[in-house]
Amino acid sequence: MALKGLDIFKLTPKTNCKQCGVPTCMAFSMKVAQGALPLEKCPFITDEVKDQLSEATAPPMKTIKIGDHSLGGETVLERHEKTFVSKTLYAMKVSTANDDAKNDELLGKVAKVDYDRIGERMYCEFVYVEAAEGENARFVDLVRKAAALDRDLILACSDVGLAKEALGVCGGKNVILMGADASNYEAMSAAATEAKAVLGVSGASLEELHDTVAALEKLGNKNLILNTTGANAKEAFRNTVEVRRGAIKGGDRTFGYPSLVDVASLCGGDAHKEAAYASLFTAKYGSIVVLTEMDYAKALPLYGLRQNIFTDPQKPMKVEPGIYPLNGADENSICMVTVDFALTYFIVSGEIERSGVPVNLLISDAGGYSVLTAWAAGKFSASSIAKFISEQNIEEKIKNRVLVLPGKVAVLKGEVQEKLPDWQVVVGTNEAVEIIRFLKEYQK
Amino acid sequence: MVGLFDRVFKGSDEMYALAEKALADALATHDESTPAVFPNTAYYAACIYEYTGIKVTTLADVKAAMTPIREMMTRNYRTHDVFTSGIATSMAAEVIELCKYLDTDTPYNGEYHGHMNDAEVRELGVPLVTRDIPGFVVIIGPAPSEEEAEALIKGYQSRGIFVFLIGGIIEQAKNRNINMGFPVRIVPVGPDIWSVSHVISLVMRAAMIFGAIGPNQYDEMNKYTFERIFAFVNAFDPVDDLTIACGACAIALGFPVITNDTKDMWKVPKTLIIQEDTKDWIETSLEARDIKIKVTNIDIPVAYSSAFEGEIIRRPDMQVEIDGSRMDCFELCMTKEAHEVEDHKIEVIGPDFDEVPVGSKMCAAFIAEVAGKNMQSDFESVFERKFHTFVNCMEGIMHTGQRDLIRIRVSKNAYEAGFRIRHIGEVLYAKLKNEYSAVIDKCQVKIYTSTTELHDLRKMANEIYDKRDERLAGLTDESVDTFYTCILCQSFSPSHVCIVTPERLGLCGAVSWLDAKATNELDPNGPSQIVTKERVIDENIGSWEDVNEAVAKYSRGALERVTLYSIMEDPMTSCGCFECICGIEPFSNGVIIVNREHTGMTPLGMTFSEMASMTGGGVQTPGFMGHGKHFIASKKFMKAEGGVARIVWMPKALKETVRERLDATALELYGIENFTDMIGDEDSCGNGDPEELVNFLSETGHPALGMDPMM
Amino acid sequence: MALAKTSQKFNSSISAFTIGTDDKTVTLGGENVLPFYTFDAPIENAPKIGAEISDLGMEKNVPGIRDYYAGAKDFSELAAKAAAIPGVDFVAFSLDAADPNGENRSVEECVEECRQVAAGTDLPLVIIGCKGTEKNEALFDKIADALSGRNVLLMSAKEENYKTIAASAGLAYNQKIGAESAVDINLAKQLNVVISQMGVKPQSIAMNVGVAAAGYGFEYVVSTMERVKMAALSQNDNMLQMPIVTPVASETWNVKEAIVSEEDIPEWGPQEERGIDMEIVTASACLASGSNAVILRHPASIAAISEMIRELV
Repeated sequence: MALKGLDIFKLTPKTNCKQCGVPTCMAFSMKVAQGALPLEKCPFITDEVKDQLSEATAPPMKTIKIGDHSLGGETVLERHEKTFVSKTLYAMKVSTANDDAKNDELLGKVAKVDYDRIGERMYCEFVYVEAAEGENARFVDLVRKAAALDRDLILACSDVGLAKEALGVCGGKNVILMGADASNYEAMSAAATEAKAVLGVSGASLEELHDTVAALEKLGNKNLILNTTGANAKEAFRNTVEVRRGAIKGGDRTFGYPSLVDVASLCGGDAHKEAAYASLFTAKYGSIVVLTEMDYAKALPLYGLRQNIFTDPQKPMKVEPGIYPLNGADENSICMVTVDFALTYFIVSGEIERSGVPVNLLISDAGGYSVLTAWAAGKFSASSIAKFISEQNIEEKIKNRVLVLPGKVAVLKGEVQEKLPDWQVVVGTNEAVEIIRFLKEYQK
Repeated sequence: MVGLFDRVFKGSDEMYALAEKALADALATHDESTPAVFPNTAYYAACIYEYTGIKVTTLADVKAAMTPIREMMTRNYRTHDVFTSGIATSMAAEVIELCKYLDTDTPYNGEYHGHMNDAEVRELGVPLVTRDIPGFVVIIGPAPSEEEAEALIKGYQSRGIFVFLIGGIIEQAKNRNINMGFPVRIVPVGPDIWSVSHVISLVMRAAMIFGAIGPNQYDEMNKYTFERIFAFVNAFDPVDDLTIACGACAIALGFPVITNDTKDMWKVPKTLIIQEDTKDWIETSLEARDIKIKVTNIDIPVAYSSAFEGEIIRRPDMQVEIDGSRMDCFELCMTKEAHEVEDHKIEVIGPDFDEVPVGSKMCAAFIAEVAGKNMQSDFESVFERKFHTFVNCMEGIMHTGQRDLIRIRVSKNAYEAGFRIRHIGEVLYAKLKNEYSAVIDKCQVKIYTSTTELHDLRKMANEIYDKRDERLAGLTDESVDTFYTCILCQSFSPSHVCIVTPERLGLCGAVSWLDAKATNELDPNGPSQIVTKERVIDENIGSWEDVNEAVAKYSRGALERVTLYSIMEDPMTSCGCFECICGIEPFSNGVIIVNREHTGMTPLGMTFSEMASMTGGGVQTPGFMGHGKHFIASKKFMKAEGGVARIVWMPKALKETVRERLDATALELYGIENFTDMIGDEDSCGNGDPEELVNFLSETGHPALGMDPMM
Repeated sequence: MALAKTSQKFNSSISAFTIGTDDKTVTLGGENVLPFYTFDAPIENAPKIGAEISDLGMEKNVPGIRDYYAGAKDFSELAAKAAAIPGVDFVAFSLDAADPNGENRSVEECVEECRQVAAGTDLPLVIIGCKGTEKNEALFDKIADALSGRNVLLMSAKEENYKTIAASAGLAYNQKIGAESAVDINLAKQLNVVISQMGVKPQSIAMNVGVAAAGYGFEYVVSTMERVKMAALSQNDNMLQMPIVTPVASETWNVKEAIVSEEDIPEWGPQEERGIDMEIVTASACLASGSNAVILRHPASIAAISEMIRELV
């Protein structure tokens, strides 16, 4: 159970010295409780208190950092209870089991998917390099090639000597060494620690995995990721759920680590099945999901799903305010105004696109709320719409003077008309699904 | 005078004798194996099937049924005997009718409808179950005159009530050229009283089809028909014993009988009703069977839609203006007794729009008088507040304000389309009846427009407003037995539950205890549920076992305890819609309050949105709490920690909003005058520095500095 | 510390719900664990898949769907082809052309189409109404009559029209009813309560608690489904124990990712693959969150999802 802000406040010096960068000790304490600031930011808190607090404030699942990425750190099993904090990351797999041409082709595709969706960069974060038996020389080579890409690496290799050699050619990259098991964990852990790599742990069964993790922790290595891929999909799902549930519901800190699921190994090269399982493990507890290939067909729905599942329910997704010309709209096309809540934008723009009617969609700054919520909070009002129109110089950019309001704020019509006397203010539809009909009728 | 029981028994015997004769006649010309079935039904002779279990398919089956029918005609002079004899009468009647169908499927040759097939039962059953047809009446006549017959039939038709006619009234309807048939919902069943068995058969089959009632389920059947089938009987004088016996069947099924026959008749409340004035039959009948008629279309010459809510009528476009700021105007919703209200009566007392010059002001008062079994005077203000939206949704009409400060503008276009002041009454009537049908049974609207009367009327209205305000002021958490939940926000804040009390409205500021109470009454499965407060744990911090149980139940286990009057111990959670957040400021022993509109810094070193991010989402954060503006001046505000004296900082604008009420509360609780002036704001302490705030509070002599630390 | 497993086998279960007749029935629900948690307790009835066909025909779909149905002369043959897709458990017929804002096809024509569909397959049927809530009242009334005895699921009854649909399809003709609400657990429950109050048995109700394509507010779908399952299983809330049927295809084949052509955005690659993956990803996430059945369109999507279900249950 996380500590409340007030309990932390009692341990601060209560001097409002601002050395932590926050105006008051109270504000600092609340932010620590929220997990927004580390306790260490306060120079006056003693080590003894720190230990006491970090034990109490530590989440049931550790946060593992790899470069700029965070994995794990979850506190709940279902997203409505509290936000999921670390999104699922994806890896593309190359293997010495493939011929060189195939690997080269795959490596060439790694950087293909890279785009922005509502302010978030969408790309394949990792390259997963797998060592097939008896291909040692090619493995080091393949690692070298993968390291040349601008992606973090996962090295899958259970031979400690080979692993060390491969780590040697990673050239300062952020690496997960997916190599420890019951037979080699001690040496593999030393190799990972030496190379400052996160250690990946596998086990033939959940029990064996558990024992190996416990042994590694005893050695002092708590920088781990658990490979929950099983012999088949059913086992993989079970392992991934059991590890997450054991940590969060069962209070088993030994399982309190992020997980990796090698979906590619479960699907025998069937890209559609990979999409299905990638979705399953994004929804259910996969921290890293390994795929054969991340193309746009998979990326578009998967990254959309991930953005939805890992969104903070208290911070609505927002799109940039501005003019969005749809269906080839120009300065003579009508304007429809709505709020900057991402879901509203997607639904409204989708319907307008389907109507085929050129429309300038005006997205006004409404704090990321839906139409009615923004209206109730005063963030979508006649004055905010008028202000938006003048700030964006819309009257200069667009000659058409028809402005369609969302039907749900019909009540604003009069006021908007008063503030924008040159415009013809029209009340649109209550629901987005009616937009197509509305626009078609309006065209007549 | 013959007893009612004896009349039923006598009528029932008569019907049985007629059935025996019909059967004997049939058997004289047909053998026992002759099929005896109604066309197109899977339920045999439905009355007999239901109450005896016999699946009649031949005359032999009919014969076999006669014994159980007779056995149901018990004679112990208890109410039960009346009911079973009544039902047996219907079965006997069914035998008589069935005998007509031996040689033909159409014994009535289209002149009368007779048997209704299963398709017709389903066709009528669906709207009956959905209440799109609010009910049906069986009229047994003739009426005293053809005109009266027509008025009654058309009266029911216009209210959407399905009409079955039996006996002489059918002839009367024909003479008045009333269009009859299943599609127009007026069905001439048959010339004789025994044809009523077709209607009873329809009821039986409706219950079997829609209620899954099986044969031989006497109690279940009668419960179903009473609860789900909204039927009643109108029987014109003279009512003979046969009809009385059939009436007993209706009553057994829960259908009241209304008659104007007074000879040898007994009143049984809500069941057997003597109403000598047949003009009142419709209203009496609907009331007796608890039928409320929905208003489907509003009779006004302009369009009605929420799209017109924001319309502004400018002066040059204005035909007339009702202006409460200059003249005596008001709107009022009042509870009346049922007999004082004539449903849908719209009265205009005084001049109309066409009697005043274009562009001029006029005075007007709108009084909606409502009656209903579940109506409570507490709802008046809730409904009255809706007048604004109701009126505003008319095209060409603009409404602002409430109570005696209303202003209504009517556009020239609306006027030219024929809009007159009574149409405002029509809208109020229709909307009140439709939106609040759970509590409003009847509604009439009075519109006064002459200056002379309005002066006194406004005084009367003001007295009512004052009384309401007094009641609201006197409405304390202690004075009520129930609180309410509000879980409207769970769609985005799944574990949050608001507990709404008289002194603590919902944290969004939009749901008062009265609103929640009305919501519960209108929509018993809705977001506001009753929370009892019988098992107190600690009244000072506002803790009840009942409240905790409610919170646990409606948060689906996410939350186990809340207190209503403390921000330190299990404070109430927030969804995120809060108008204000208060947060503990340890250096001054107090709390600061910041409202949503304030974007600047607070002495806590956090802005509203920073504080909001840790207070919302249904999570308990001791020391921080979201609430409505109105709650600030409540005596229950942080009562556990010492009350409003803990408030040390608020933005200026918020101070002005609450000043009057807050000063009054502080004066009453602590004897402090002008308390609001002691509270800091962004001018006296704007840079997020608690020390500056403490200095200011020392200067003003703020009581919080002398109070115990909060933690 | 040794491994101590945490189980979530509940004492309550999702109610079992059956459509279809004779030996061609499909049963949804019945489980007392979270989706695919077979390691907590066996799941007797695996999630099911419906193949969606439309009364607008299948010509306007991507080639993989269009070609599969090519040559079907009437709705009967369309239904037969849908039923023949490997992995399909039931056929879902969508009355898109009935939409009063669209083609506004008459009730009589729609009833005839449904008759044809019913003649084309003996698999269980789901009839999906049009966008017009009022139109659906009349449609379902007549279709429920016409398909009497086929034990079909009519989707959906909403707050605005549940009364007529419950009375007619549910009570008068004994068909099954889908209760549709918009991603809110309380609204879902309320609708189940009022439909039950009309006299419809809870075992005759399935839920559509709302759906979105992945990326389009899908978090609401996840949370609503997860909360509904939790309430049903851990709190024994019998007004939320109805199984969930989710029409995935109609959402996913309408989003930008599935309809923009390759010419317009070349880097996105083939349109058909995007549509399939959007359908697969959304369906898989729905099943993981609580759907007991999904309705899909592309044979490739049906293949992938049915294999996943087979492997997991």
